Amino acid sequence: MSSSESDHSRDPCPIVILNDFGGAFSMGAIGGCLWHGVKGFRNSPYGERRLGAISAIKARAPVIGGNFGVWGGLFSFYDCSIKSIRKREDAWNAIMAGFCVGGSLAIRGGPKHILISAISCGCVLGVFEGVGMMLSRYMAWANKPAAYPTDVAPLGA
Amino acid sequence: MSWLFGAPPKKEEAKEVVLDDNSGVVPSIQDPTSNSNSINNNNNSQDVSSILQSQYLDPASLHPLAGLDKEIEYLDLDDEKLNTVSGTSNGILPSRGWTDDLCYGSGAVYVLGLTTGGLKGFNEGLKQIANNQRLEYQPFKLKLNTILNHVTKHGPQWGNSAGVLGIYYNGIDSMLDACRGVHDDYNSLASGFLSGLIFKCTKGPKAMGYSSVLMTLAAGTWCGFKRYVNGPPDGSERFQ
Repeated sequence: MSSSESDHSRDPCPIVILNDFGGAFSMGAIGGCLWHGVKGFRNSPYGERRLGAISAIKARAPVIGGNFGVWGGLFSFYDCSIKSIRKREDAWNAIMAGFCVGGSLAIRGGPKHILISAISCGCVLGVFEGVGMMLSRYMAWANKPAAYPTDVAPLGA
Repeated sequence: MSWLFGAPPKKEEAKEVVLDDNSGVVPSIQDPTSNSNSINNNNNSQDVSSILQSQYLDPASLHPLAGLDKEIEYLDLDDEKLNTVSGTSNGILPSRGWTDDLCYGSGAVYVLGLTTGGLKGFNEGLKQIANNQRLEYQPFKLKLNTILNHVTKHGPQWGNSAGVLGIYYNGIDSMLDACRGVHDDYNSLASGFLSGLIFKCTKGPKAMGYSSVLMTLAAGTWCGFKRYVNGPPDGSERFQ
């Protein structure tokens, strides 16, 4: 989720929102198919298990896809907006975007609910970014360039 | 530039490359201060191609392990490898493969469905406020709540259905592309038909027929739109 300038696998900003909407929706819908397929299968009586799985998938998987899609699309939208306002790319973008997403999704619950949801969502994104930074720093430490030896005693001398 | 020349034994070769090398350091080829004299002394070649073809940059004289005896690669475009199936460039967005098609297709269709359903819900909410005598003199907050309830009822419903249709369509389309090796209108129409068929597969043959015909028409519309954007088939672009 952390973005860098050399990340050529993602498209430039305004159009990438659609990509994130679709990617998150597909992820949620396909994952929801598996999840609710198993759940509907297990919760149905014998003889109706296939039918139960199919009806559970039909009823629930698109909803999960929609939840994922709205979350991912809103996150991308806020990320792009904050990027264009701040003119820089760092971890704070994702944290602020998470804050805004949490607030937006709880917009009908009143100010207290909005604030709590926004802060918890920002904290979750902060943890994600922190873990990502730790991982990338660890990888960079493993691949750090070795200095050439300047004065080495001759071997076997 | 020590990474370019590699191991220290190659220093002699590098010294031979630049004629007026008087310091003891390994000369850097892209450094104009150490290199411009030699180029100017030789044959006044200031053109980029002549500099690149001159003997100073002869790849054979450089380190063999650096892999410089190939064509010049200005950028490493591995991540941006575009779709290799013929006919996939739709003139609207470049596609990197089936994942891009899936994400953009389902995302665009999902947002379209969400907007359409939201507008429909907005319309219904307004209608209900106008028709309901009890709601007419209620405070604004209650009216807003009525409208929002309708919007959030219909928007996600339409959006989810449209997004699922988009996933079906793009998935089947990519499968057909991979099977046939070409991306054309027949694939698009067939995948529209099949996705409509799958979408209503539990509702009986009549609903399946309706939805597959509608999806085929939608796929045909999309193909026509792509043809319109791409311009006439003689190669002249409509939008430049």
